[in-house]
Amino acid sequence: MTRTTSLIALMALAFPLAAPAAAEVTVLGWPGGPEEAALRAAAEAYNARPETAEEDRVELLFTSRDGFFDKLAADLAAGSTAFDANLIATYSIGRYAPFMRPVDLGPQAAATFGDAVLSTMQFEGEQFGVPTDLSLHFLYVRRDLMDALLADPEAQATYTRIAQERLGEALAPKPPEDWTWRDWAAASLYFSQSVNPDSPTRYGTVLQMKNLLFNMMVFQSLPRAYGADWMDAEGNVTVDSEAYRTGLELYKLLYDAGATPPDSTSYEYAEANAAYASGQVASMVQWNAAAGELTSEETAPAVAAVTDTLPPPAGPEGRFTHVHSLGLGINAAAENPEGAERFLQWLATPEAMAVYARAGGAPGLAGDALAAVAADRPDLAQLGDYAVNYGYVMRGATGANALAVYERQAADFTGYWAGTSTLDEALASATEGMTELLAPPAQ
Amino acid sequence: MTPRARENRWLVAPAVAFLLLMLGFPTVLNVIYSLSDVSFETLRSPRLDGLGNYGEVLSDGAFWASLSFSLRFGALTAVAEVLLGLFLAVFLAPLLRRHPWLLAVLTLPMMIAPAMMGLMYRLMLHEFVGPLPHYLFLWFGSSPAFLSPAWAFWTIAAIEVLQWTPFTLLLFHLAYASIPGEVREAARMDGARAFRLFRRIELPMLLPTVLVALLIRLIDGIRVFDNIWVLVGAGAGGSTTSLPIYIYTAFFRGGPLGPALAASVLFALAAFATLALALRLAGRRAP
Repeated sequence: MTRTTSLIALMALAFPLAAPAAAEVTVLGWPGGPEEAALRAAAEAYNARPETAEEDRVELLFTSRDGFFDKLAADLAAGSTAFDANLIATYSIGRYAPFMRPVDLGPQAAATFGDAVLSTMQFEGEQFGVPTDLSLHFLYVRRDLMDALLADPEAQATYTRIAQERLGEALAPKPPEDWTWRDWAAASLYFSQSVNPDSPTRYGTVLQMKNLLFNMMVFQSLPRAYGADWMDAEGNVTVDSEAYRTGLELYKLLYDAGATPPDSTSYEYAEANAAYASGQVASMVQWNAAAGELTSEETAPAVAAVTDTLPPPAGPEGRFTHVHSLGLGINAAAENPEGAERFLQWLATPEAMAVYARAGGAPGLAGDALAAVAADRPDLAQLGDYAVNYGYVMRGATGANALAVYERQAADFTGYWAGTSTLDEALASATEGMTELLAPPAQ
Repeated sequence: MTPRARENRWLVAPAVAFLLLMLGFPTVLNVIYSLSDVSFETLRSPRLDGLGNYGEVLSDGAFWASLSFSLRFGALTAVAEVLLGLFLAVFLAPLLRRHPWLLAVLTLPMMIAPAMMGLMYRLMLHEFVGPLPHYLFLWFGSSPAFLSPAWAFWTIAAIEVLQWTPFTLLLFHLAYASIPGEVREAARMDGARAFRLFRRIELPMLLPTVLVALLIRLIDGIRVFDNIWVLVGAGAGGSTTSLPIYIYTAFFRGGPLGPALAASVLFALAAFATLALALRLAGRRAP
């Protein structure tokens, strides 16, 4: 081997060892969506600041979304030092808290986000992350169809007849802003060709009924409006309740009536968006993240101009939307926790959140931070408004086994909807599973 | 030991060491964890717990439901793939003899990753964006809901058969081509017609291949994961939960890991026993 060859070989060996030194804070982000684009923009802005020290420069790491939280659990539990800060979500904080360290976000955080949004990143009284993206649900509704219905007495009579026949109540059409869940169900039936052959759309709604934990989050705003909770104040599981029965039965009624596509039992976010964007669906409850896609002429030309985004319908206990946030927290095994904390503190400033929001992120902002981006992102005001006024978190839904609870519910509830179990069986099974999962840890 | 035998041992040693390292170590760890009270939090300090995890798995209705699903799915798809593959190998034999490159085209589906296959059909079968429902609506005014609870099992079985029939076609094509021409010639001289020739001469000679193909496809069908997971997940109420999906979901449920690992050990033992049994059967049948 010549000296030159040896030198090249040595340099090649040394390169991977030297490379990580260029970026001292490695951040594992949520891949493949607006969150990634926003985090990239924020990291770029942070690294460009003159006051950012060389050892605090941020490098981003993204993996696939598929099984992300499972892989993250394995990495954190194994004490991985591959990243200093990582994604967390409201529903998984309890699972990851033992492997993370609380973070001090600095004095500006409360003013930037408001206490309600900050609390979505807290577990057992401690702040575990900075809330970068808020997720909740909108009712996406076809304004043109509803206006036509409200202007046509004959159609209204048909609507009332269908409501009487299917729901046992002679409901009259209302503007979607005033809908209760029963109004939503009546409209869903009316706009389904299986129930009303003259309907302009094939389906009145599209339900996400795949055996998937995220679909349970979409569903639960319905029983919540009837007073549902996972547990009572004493810690007893309360899923076998009238509220849950009402919600589950209403979904089943719509599914059996053909008010949602028959393979809705395999639908999740993307399938539901495709159904709605086709123009063959009158309304749906969906994540706020879909607003950009469904109100854009480019991606949803059939419905963009006639789609309104509203809060989900109301029930006897009020109007509710599931709310959670995605955020970034610090790995307990981080090699540079101080640098990671400085980055998270910067993220909690209005300056950082303005960059983040303009790049496509969806932070829940308050006060001056919201005013600074309101012109560019008017939807963020709606997001913050709904989170504050209608947002809820079920009792126990930030615990260590919250994701497992959603999974258990998904298995049991979808079984009832698909007809493989009865309502009593589904609720008994959910109660048994949730009692085990939500039990306080043995001392 | 002869020098030749000693040389053979040396030659095989790296492969054995590799297998011990890459398969043996995880297997031993898997068995230890399956006998332990262990979670993600205690991965480095599992507490031995006897056979409790095995008892828990064996008394779990979902385990037996997933086993039943896997066996039904594996048996149905294996039989369908073998019958179709055999038919195509015999039916297309003259064509494949003249144009061998056609075999490469016919075996293309098995080059596709199963997860990708699931993703493709998730798009193909979607009522609002999929071409198949689109044309069915256009021509007949309605379309089956291919991924609804009533259809899901048959849809994923059909996709599995479409993807893996080329594998059995390949096996049978090679076996069929290896039957000596003189055997067929002698049978024809004795007056055997095509069907009789196939039933009495060719099929018995293909039987070991049929058994091997059935076995490989049965094991592969039982351990199906990717395409089902991508297409319909665990299914409404767990209706499409295969054994590997059961193990996967049990492992990542966030609680103790022992039951999932116990199920994986039971699965491995059952697969090994099936393999041993089938190989013995195939050995007996071989001429």
